[in-house]
Amino acid sequence: MPELLAFVLLLAITAYSTAGGVDFGAGIWDLLAGTSPRGREARALIDHSMAPVWEVNNVWLVLSIVLCWTAFPPLFQAAFADLYPLFTLALIGLILRGAFFAFRHVADSPRAHRMSDLVFGISSVLTPFFFAASLGAIASGRVGHGVAQACLNPMALAFGLVSVAATAFSGASFLVGDARRYRAAEMVGYFQRRVIASGSVLIAVGTLALVVIGLEAPSLLRSMLLGAGLPFALVTVVVTPVVMWLVWRGLFRLYRVLTVAAVGSLVFAWAFAQSPYLLPGSLTIQQAIAPPGTRAVLLAVTVVLVLMIVPSMGLLYYLDQRSTLESP
Amino acid sequence: MNAALWLAGDALLPSRIQMAFTLATHVLLVPLGVAFPALTLVMEGIGLFRKDPVALKIARRWSVVMAVQFAVGAVTGTILSFEFGILWPRLMGRFGPALGLGFAIEGLAFFLEAIFIGIYLYGWRRLSPRTHFLLGLTLPPVGVLGAASVLSANAFMNTPGGITLQAGRVVDVNPAAALFPAALGYEFWHFIIAIYMTAGFAVASVYAVAWLRGRRDHYQRLAFAVPFTIAAALTPVQLVIGDLSARALVEDQPAKFAAIEVTWTTRDHNPEVIGGFIDNAGQVHLGIALPSLDSLLVGYSPNAVVRGLSGFAANTRPTAVEASIAHLAFDAMVGLGSAGALLAAWYFLTLLRRRRLPESTWFYRLAALAGVGCYLAVEVGWVTTEVGRQPWIVYGLMRVSDAVTNAPGAYVWTMLATLVVVYALIAYFFVTLLMRLGARWRDEDAPEEGAPYGPRPQRFAPDA
Repeated sequence: MPELLAFVLLLAITAYSTAGGVDFGAGIWDLLAGTSPRGREARALIDHSMAPVWEVNNVWLVLSIVLCWTAFPPLFQAAFADLYPLFTLALIGLILRGAFFAFRHVADSPRAHRMSDLVFGISSVLTPFFFAASLGAIASGRVGHGVAQACLNPMALAFGLVSVAATAFSGASFLVGDARRYRAAEMVGYFQRRVIASGSVLIAVGTLALVVIGLEAPSLLRSMLLGAGLPFALVTVVVTPVVMWLVWRGLFRLYRVLTVAAVGSLVFAWAFAQSPYLLPGSLTIQQAIAPPGTRAVLLAVTVVLVLMIVPSMGLLYYLDQRSTLESP
Repeated sequence: MNAALWLAGDALLPSRIQMAFTLATHVLLVPLGVAFPALTLVMEGIGLFRKDPVALKIARRWSVVMAVQFAVGAVTGTILSFEFGILWPRLMGRFGPALGLGFAIEGLAFFLEAIFIGIYLYGWRRLSPRTHFLLGLTLPPVGVLGAASVLSANAFMNTPGGITLQAGRVVDVNPAAALFPAALGYEFWHFIIAIYMTAGFAVASVYAVAWLRGRRDHYQRLAFAVPFTIAAALTPVQLVIGDLSARALVEDQPAKFAAIEVTWTTRDHNPEVIGGFIDNAGQVHLGIALPSLDSLLVGYSPNAVVRGLSGFAANTRPTAVEASIAHLAFDAMVGLGSAGALLAAWYFLTLLRRRRLPESTWFYRLAALAGVGCYLAVEVGWVTTEVGRQPWIVYGLMRVSDAVTNAPGAYVWTMLATLVVVYALIAYFFVTLLMRLGARWRDEDAPEEGAPYGPRPQRFAPDA
């Protein structure tokens, strides 16, 4: 059962990385859209596709945090004791993002509007960067060696950069879908090109990250390439170009599901390569797990979550889709 | 002490201030977040049952405010969950397996709430009125479940139970006992009623102001009377529950009780002190002492013995300053609650005698203040229970100073300053947005679109 709870925690982190990633990615394209007429159109599309669900993904983040401190308290304490600067920066980015996304709908003057665009865009880059950097710091095995050692290390940087590329990639892919849904033909092409560009960057940055992992945490690289992480690493390596190809050829089928699969596998590849360690070299799942009574409640909560969330989310999704079909 | 000294100090003081600041902000969003859906559903139910389009319009507009409010609450709540790690890593490191259980259930409730608020907003136009109303009925219980689970965690901090400790580590957890600590019973009823009262009085106060500005139509009367009646009916209940809660402290958290009554020596014929403060020597200043009343209230007899602060070791009880803060906060809460009860009595007497709503300007002036008064009461209520527990973060088991982060004080001061600025911005946006909605809705036929979580306008227009 300890492994099962670790897997649930991984699922919550992955859900945040993929669902939240789409949102952050849209913010990154918003930042890069510029002020040309076409850039303005792109920004309006981004706004339109994000408006109804902004910050709803916080749910996954809160679930991850809560699961971490309830099921694996020593992990929570050690991670925050050494990585609090990274978490603080991610958190500040998260609040600024939400606040300024709302504010640009209220802003009166063009200057206030531009400023809120800018803050929203920059925080969309910084938030996923610092969240992923904290995972990189954990993967480096330096949590427990002090704040400076843990935060300022190449693995944190590498994970952060990969996550920025991955969120840009998933954001672009989903925006292609939204552009198609709203029949904005020009925007379809605009984001098609961005899927290719960010996909290429993701592959390049991913390769570099593998080199960094090889230098900094050779055993982690070994199990990523030869051990439990391998299937997931393979999925990412194969599926990312497939998504690029599908989008490029205009074969708009399954590309969004595959985008989620590519980004999700990235997270899985890291987690499975690292297991059974929560903190490489110092803390395993078995060592960190909470007493049996706690596990039973957490398992029950998970079951209820799945039983209740799946149908209700389905209903919400159905209503959202019907709304656009209805439009004249 | 000057600023440089503060910055060089440890993280305890800024961490406490930051936690107090962010919690005090979040708790402002809780009443409407938890109780507004119920008010909206009552209004929707009236609209459906009486076939009253005005009631349905009010319900639709309220649902928009509900969603905006939920979005802001989601952000401030996320910050709080991170603060447990950034500011108090050792609290969860040790008590996470027990204290975390409530939060896990709250996570579930939060998730369901986010989804069903979305469904409720989307459903106005796309579901049959009956289905929409029935799906909406999930919201109040989910909100109460969320509040109850956070209260369970707080109650654990006040009266911990259900854990076996070995060398400082939790080795066994009895989930039922950890999830239902002794304090949960009264904390739950006291707070749930408080937030329903606050939501009712706060929503009604908007329409009390409208009345004062001369708006006296069916829309205003309905939007005032429904929330005000609910809140006013709960007020006397709250007086009883509040009294029971204070009494329960005598057994469960005697040091807190001694602090809120500023009782120094254990004695009979203990007076009830109203206002004032206590100093380090146990002297009470400026308070009005009502002879023997505290003993009477606690033990129904002037001879009842009440425990005083001096009966606890100095490092296990609130300091004089903390005791004075808890005492004044408690008095403010009781005072505000009693004022609310008088207003409720005025309202119901008029209803009974004249068979109509009050028409006195003074009544509506007070009703306009009742919302703010309730928010104040909620704040000082939390101050009472949190400051009154000091120096403990988990009563009797862990001190606040043992839970705090190793981060330098300057770091936490900087984070605190940043958060204050960001919160001020969010508050500004939030208030601006509400004022705009208010201004737009003075026009009867204005649409209710454009809320977070709500349906987007049906077409994508690049020039919009």
